[in-house]
Amino acid sequence: MDVLALLEFYILYPSFFVMIIFPGLIFALIVLLYTIWFERKIAAKVQMRFGPLYASKRSGGFLQLVADAMKFVFSEIIVPEQVNSTLFALGPVLYLLVSLLPLAAIPLSTIPPTGSVLSMYFHEFYDPNVGTGIMAAVVSNYSLLIVLALEAVTPVFVLFTAWVTNNRFALLGAVREGLLSVSYDVLLIMASLSLAIEFHTLDVAKIVEAPIPGFVANPFAAFLFLVGMLIGTGRFPFDIVEAESELVAGPYTEYSGLLFVLSMGGSYIGTFAYSILFADLFLGGWQPFTGYYGMIFTVFKAILVLMFAVFMRSVYGRYRIDQALRGSWKYLFPLALLSIVIGGVVGIWIR
Amino acid sequence: MDKVNKIKEYEKKNPFRLFADHVSAVATGLKYTFKPTRITLQYPEEALLLPNGYRGMLRLYKDICIGCTLCALVCPADAMKMATEQGKKYPMINYGRCVFCGFCVDICPVDALRETGMHDAAFQNRRELVFDPDKFNADFQQEMPTGKTVRRVKAIIDENKGIKYEPADN
Repeated sequence: MDVLALLEFYILYPSFFVMIIFPGLIFALIVLLYTIWFERKIAAKVQMRFGPLYASKRSGGFLQLVADAMKFVFSEIIVPEQVNSTLFALGPVLYLLVSLLPLAAIPLSTIPPTGSVLSMYFHEFYDPNVGTGIMAAVVSNYSLLIVLALEAVTPVFVLFTAWVTNNRFALLGAVREGLLSVSYDVLLIMASLSLAIEFHTLDVAKIVEAPIPGFVANPFAAFLFLVGMLIGTGRFPFDIVEAESELVAGPYTEYSGLLFVLSMGGSYIGTFAYSILFADLFLGGWQPFTGYYGMIFTVFKAILVLMFAVFMRSVYGRYRIDQALRGSWKYLFPLALLSIVIGGVVGIWIR
Repeated sequence: MDKVNKIKEYEKKNPFRLFADHVSAVATGLKYTFKPTRITLQYPEEALLLPNGYRGMLRLYKDICIGCTLCALVCPADAMKMATEQGKKYPMINYGRCVFCGFCVDICPVDALRETGMHDAAFQNRRELVFDPDKFNADFQQEMPTGKTVRRVKAIIDENKGIKYEPADN
């Protein structure tokens, strides 16, 4: 076996490729830059402004984000006194890492047995539940459970960053995150669960391979998942945890320079991971493509969802914490129960 | 105790109406996204046409000035001071203090001070803000950062767009 083929084998190996290259670390950072640029541009559009423009006028100021990123990377990281500096530096890093982790279990595409670059991994990533190879870092029959469990860990690290920085604004933000996580996790889990009941499986790949996409099968669950996603990752109108006008930057108040980029990137990458899951569960994932194209198609849908999520900033103001909690328990929770009932009833016909 | 714990909630007669309102809000946002109406004035390339009598930076006509010191006397911000040049008094101005009230222009008995329409200027340090009589004697000119000629526009209230800018010919 020559070196090139060996290299190709290891680089395209799904566990590595998914986590590090394509929707994982490298691509996610590009998406992060693009998303922040898009968020600023679209908010400006709706508010009758231009947004970033003068850094490369031809591309609509896209290079502004590169300039900002460079500024952040080279600016000083200020570590406050009376703070454990190791833990202080570890906080945002762990947060980013943990918000990237759910990508491991989310299937992105199928691997056809022959005729694709990925076909050499067919047997290693074979999912007996679906009957084909699955392009995911970890193939499991319980991928939905794994993803939800990994997503549920992220609030812990928000609390961790806030606690470590020893700042009042950060602690208040952490308290809000703690209160909110109770409400959005319930919505997300119940919305996913209703789909699991409907399609009789906890395997995301099998839900995608089902004859009808989840959005048609259970629209309530799709709506709840979207709202839960917005609350969970601090997008508007639920930008309560890092409420700029009240809490400076919430849990990330004390961070500057690269650590601030990491902590801010954590929430965006979290949204991206949720968006991929949303595209898989509700928008039909990679269908009708397979292999490489399927992967690109899934991520394309996810980016559309992500764009919608950041678009909300231009439409909404911020809810108060009590409004968000009341809304999610009083209106959305009964809807979640309803969506489970719908899942159970409609599931009789889906086989 | 009961009153303290009560959180104000606006009464919602119909939750479905609430949902419809959210949808219409998002739809409005989408409408603005796909049909953007921008009211930004792109300043260094285009600038508003200033009205007559606009109180911009001042200039001195040194040959008319009689050195009566009235302008320095009336200046409420102590921006105008008199300087002696070859036995004759001329006003000098410190734009760091000037409030552009125009009193000096009004009080001048021989109209030796005038207001120009120039107001967008930038200086490297505070010493440059002080104009001695010779510098004060000329029209103030400064290159625009873009290096191009500024397009003068005037603002027009438009029914659909809000504010519209139309090119104005001086």
